[in-house]
Amino acid sequence: MPYLGGEETVRELRRALSNPNVQSDPLRYRNTILKVIRTMSQGVDVSGLFSEMVKACATVDVVQKKLVYVFLCSYATLNPELSLLVINSLRKDCQDPNPMVRSLALRNMTNLRLPSLVEYVEQPLTAGLRDRAACVRRVAVLGWAKLHNLQPSSEIDAAVVNELYSLLRDPDPVVMVNCLRALEEILKEEGGVAINKPITHHLLNRLKECDIWGQCEVLRVLQRYRPQSEDELFDILSLLDSFLVSPHPPVMAATLSLFLSVSSSLPAVSLAALERVSGPLLAACGSGSREMRFAAVCHIQLLLRSVPGLLGVHYKRFFCGYAEPAYIKERKMQVLVELVNDENVAMILDELKGYCTDVNIDTAQAAISAIGRIGRSYSDRCLQILTGLLGLKQDHITSAVVQTMRDLVWVCPQCSDTVCLALEGCEETLQDIQGRQALLWLLGVYGERISSAPYTLEVLIDGVRSEASLGIKMELLTATMRLFLCRPAETQDMLGRLLHYCIEEETDMCMRDQALLYYHLLHCGIEETRKVLQGRRSDPSLGVLIGRPAKPVSQWARCFNTLEPLSQGAVEAESASRGSPEHMTYNPKPNADLSDTLSCSHIQEIHSGSDNAMRCSDSSTDGLASSITAPLSLCLSPAVSPEDFEHLWLQRQALHTERGAEKIEVVDCAWIEECVRCPAVLHCSPQSLQAAMQLVNIQTLAFTPKHTLPWRVYLYTHTQRSHSTDAPNTTLILGELLCTGEANQKAGVKKGTADSEAGAEGKEDQLVRKEMVATADRLSEDGQEEEEGIKVTLNQQPRDDDALRQFLTVLTTVLNTLSSEKD
Amino acid sequence: MSASAIFVLDLKGKVLICRNYKGDVDMSEIDRFMHLLMQHEEEGLLCPVMSHGNVHFMWIKHSNLYLVATTNKNSNASLVYAFLYKLVEVFTEYFKELEEESIQDNFVVVYELLDELMDFGFPQTTDSKILQEYITQEGAKLEVAKSKVPTTVTNAVSWRSEGIKYKKNEVFIDVIESINVLVNANGSVMSSDIVGSIKLKTMLSGMPELRLGLNDRVLFGLTGRDKGKTVMMEDVKFHQCVRLSRFESDRTISFIPPDGESELMSYRINTHVKPLIWIESIIEKFSHSRVEIMVKAKGQFKKQSVANNVEVRVPVPSDADSPKFKTSTGNAKYVPEKNLVVWTIKSFPGGKEFLMRAHFGLPSVENEEMESKPPITVKFEIPYFTVSGIQVRYMKIIEKSGYQALPWVRYITQSGDYQLRTNV
Repeated sequence: MPYLGGEETVRELRRALSNPNVQSDPLRYRNTILKVIRTMSQGVDVSGLFSEMVKACATVDVVQKKLVYVFLCSYATLNPELSLLVINSLRKDCQDPNPMVRSLALRNMTNLRLPSLVEYVEQPLTAGLRDRAACVRRVAVLGWAKLHNLQPSSEIDAAVVNELYSLLRDPDPVVMVNCLRALEEILKEEGGVAINKPITHHLLNRLKECDIWGQCEVLRVLQRYRPQSEDELFDILSLLDSFLVSPHPPVMAATLSLFLSVSSSLPAVSLAALERVSGPLLAACGSGSREMRFAAVCHIQLLLRSVPGLLGVHYKRFFCGYAEPAYIKERKMQVLVELVNDENVAMILDELKGYCTDVNIDTAQAAISAIGRIGRSYSDRCLQILTGLLGLKQDHITSAVVQTMRDLVWVCPQCSDTVCLALEGCEETLQDIQGRQALLWLLGVYGERISSAPYTLEVLIDGVRSEASLGIKMELLTATMRLFLCRPAETQDMLGRLLHYCIEEETDMCMRDQALLYYHLLHCGIEETRKVLQGRRSDPSLGVLIGRPAKPVSQWARCFNTLEPLSQGAVEAESASRGSPEHMTYNPKPNADLSDTLSCSHIQEIHSGSDNAMRCSDSSTDGLASSITAPLSLCLSPAVSPEDFEHLWLQRQALHTERGAEKIEVVDCAWIEECVRCPAVLHCSPQSLQAAMQLVNIQTLAFTPKHTLPWRVYLYTHTQRSHSTDAPNTTLILGELLCTGEANQKAGVKKGTADSEAGAEGKEDQLVRKEMVATADRLSEDGQEEEEGIKVTLNQQPRDDDALRQFLTVLTTVLNTLSSEKD
Repeated sequence: MSASAIFVLDLKGKVLICRNYKGDVDMSEIDRFMHLLMQHEEEGLLCPVMSHGNVHFMWIKHSNLYLVATTNKNSNASLVYAFLYKLVEVFTEYFKELEEESIQDNFVVVYELLDELMDFGFPQTTDSKILQEYITQEGAKLEVAKSKVPTTVTNAVSWRSEGIKYKKNEVFIDVIESINVLVNANGSVMSSDIVGSIKLKTMLSGMPELRLGLNDRVLFGLTGRDKGKTVMMEDVKFHQCVRLSRFESDRTISFIPPDGESELMSYRINTHVKPLIWIESIIEKFSHSRVEIMVKAKGQFKKQSVANNVEVRVPVPSDADSPKFKTSTGNAKYVPEKNLVVWTIKSFPGGKEFLMRAHFGLPSVENEEMESKPPITVKFEIPYFTVSGIQVRYMKIIEKSGYQALPWVRYITQSGDYQLRTNV
């Protein structure tokens, strides 16, 4: 940094330093040195004074020594030759009777960071390890780590390493912890300190003597230890129990991290630890320092991935204070969304509603989108709030609300009526690009229900020449096309004008090509256009459950208590936490291109890609060979997102209906339809159904509200069976529970068809149509007209009849249990 | 935890003092810090961790300083923050106030401290009581190579030196509880808790052995006695001098105290407390003309107790003008730079109710910007009283010389984060 008068100052200081009168007066000498350091702190380059400062090193005044060392350590790398002169006086200081001076000299000797001096440093360091003063040993131990860091390629003498190992038993706890740190650094290549049983037990026994920094260090290193027996494991855990509820958040987090790593094979123990730690974690969330609070909230987000219900009752702790910084508020809102349940939803929504009008625009928008996510399971309440917010006519709020509504409507199509009503008049307040894009999308897709849609579009089309944003123009074109399909009379003229503008005047190639594409598409006929532009929509009677499968602890345990959870972008955490389908069709992600026309062989690829452990058995014979029952286990990972499910389901259904005509053996999957008699299930709340299913590792993805007809639930699971060949055989089962309310007649009919088809079914046929004869029989015997059966449709891939049958038994049991509880 | 270097910056991002501990991150990386900070602030993504390339900056702000730790590893973030706060704590104990001026005036001590607090990126000696024994601010006094080795560096009782002498042996115990309350606009208490701390001022000779008895519910449950009110404490934190093993086994708080002032323990009680001072407010805003504020404060504590220096801070719109006040007691003042009315009541007896009315004019041209809705906050202090009912039952002082010492106990309840939301 250029500093005015810098050179002049340096010259003056040099004169003063070499003045014998100053040198003879200790106080003046020290003050001059003080001036040098002050000038250095101000950013002036005083490296030219190096030789004078080296001389000043030889003094009895400790403070002066320290100052000179600060100077020397800063400039040593620029003057390696002159630094050699310092070594002598430093080595002399290492013999000083005062341990403070010895440790000071030793520390600065290693801080010079000059590879050329290593040979002179080694001897005092070795002596330092055996010094009688603990403070010298502390420095010496770390000194070896610094030497190694300086020359990572050179080997540290094995004798030194041994000595360091023996110093782990030093009476001073800081020396012990420094030894651990040094060995970790020196033996980095070999994976760190060797953690064996005696060392582990020794460290654990001395844990209490350490300060919190030491405790964290020891706990971290011990994560590598694997107890030899379960008894030993539990001994360790009970010894550490008091640290788990330590009032110091870093110690608590380090202990939890250790718990999770040593008990990784015992999920029950991990869960118990997580529950025990929730108190101290909540306390950390209320910690006085905002950074610590932030760290705690971020780590709670990790925990919630595995134990979503852990903190449900403590939701109030995540209410935001007025003066809290936006980054904490945002994370807290994300946590609140996770904690929503039937009891607290009213309170949480009320609180979030208050944040929507926050002066900080980001906080307000985050609150609105949080309400939108809760809306996936509590759509009515949330829509009411969102609609109310539109009345404020604030542009950033309206924009966030419209975007949230767009996302919500995609997942919960039953909301579309309310949304359509609310949208009227929004266009006047919307300013920003994202908000207007969202509005245009909604106008295009739900245009037939929004009376003012054509007029809104017309205004925009008239002003399209002055529109700067390409995104808006693209969206406008698509929306107008869509609207044309449902309201041709009102839209035809403006569509013509827009297409004309885009093709003749627009300079952007993308835009022009898109317009040309639509133009040619229209030439192909209205039906073709409709097929392209009005794709499938979700079944409006379905809602997606907000809950998602708990992820195994191992998925995040590695990054617990590090920097990672804090720097993970909030958005990333959100999309990772739930596979939201919102932008899928609108902005298809490259990896989600499971189009309807995709051939089934692709599915297999996708699946083996998503799960490495999955070995797709390439023929159905394998499935049959395994019919000697192997124990079946269900698991939820890899998770299937709602949109993946929908793609797979529709695709297989289409395949199944096609299959009726021609039987081609291409795909290895099975399709079953069954009937189970457990009508009371219809009256279960979706939450209890989901909870029951999750107990046996079946994930419910979507449901209709109770008492509605037709009532349906979609679910999926993965089956795993260990074969004699040791390769685990994994299949994915997708299922639908359906109750139309007229099952009786249907069941009867189907029984007939199933019987007739049963004969025709070949071994190679992947269609298995069966009927739970017992159920049907009982139905007909009892003749209870009001009793309804639930139609279970299952789809399995790859095919494994045996697993499928076992799965069906599990499912039937769950349904019957639920049913009997309700009775 | 491994922090590579520690920096102290002023508000403009100029490095006041720095220490390179590991040498694995280029020291000039800090020049990007301020730029990053501003960029993140603009995008509304301000966060205590910022990254540039593979260098992570973890920072805290204290008065007019930024304390920044750099690292290029996935290190333990909460530990780094804990260390940065420890730095603040140590510096504050040395210089009373940690700010730009005190750093510049004492940079020699700061260098010395940075040297002792951390080595090679690992925290070393962080106890300020120990540090104060061998790093003194009287650096100006020339001592020729102190031959005295501070005993505390290696001593078993690291927080107390031997040979302390007082003419009159006394110990003062302060039990201080602060209440945090958040009340919703409709008057329901959203959350409340009590943060308590027991502070000592020890003026005792020699190496005394102290034992403190509290009406701790767990202790009374253990011994089976159940006399009167007991208190359930959570998140109890002790000074390092307290023998934790004894507390865990039989809940006895026994210790050799550090000399002078220290915080013996802190605790949290997470119960539903009745807000000690209850505020009802009606704020009516008539656009383009005026704002009418009516605030009623009620003391919901025992009649014998008195709250001192009560301050009720009521937010007003930023464009309000011409204030008029009427109070039944105390006086109200408009603080335009904070957009607040501060109503001060010197002494507020329990069970009483007071009223304040305020009237403001509003300009006819309405402020376009959205106004934030700050809550009403209350500050107060009630002596001779603890909300939780915690009591010091005894304090035993035993020293081998057998002197008589007097313990003095004082109770104070004060407001912590005490917020009541308004509906405007």
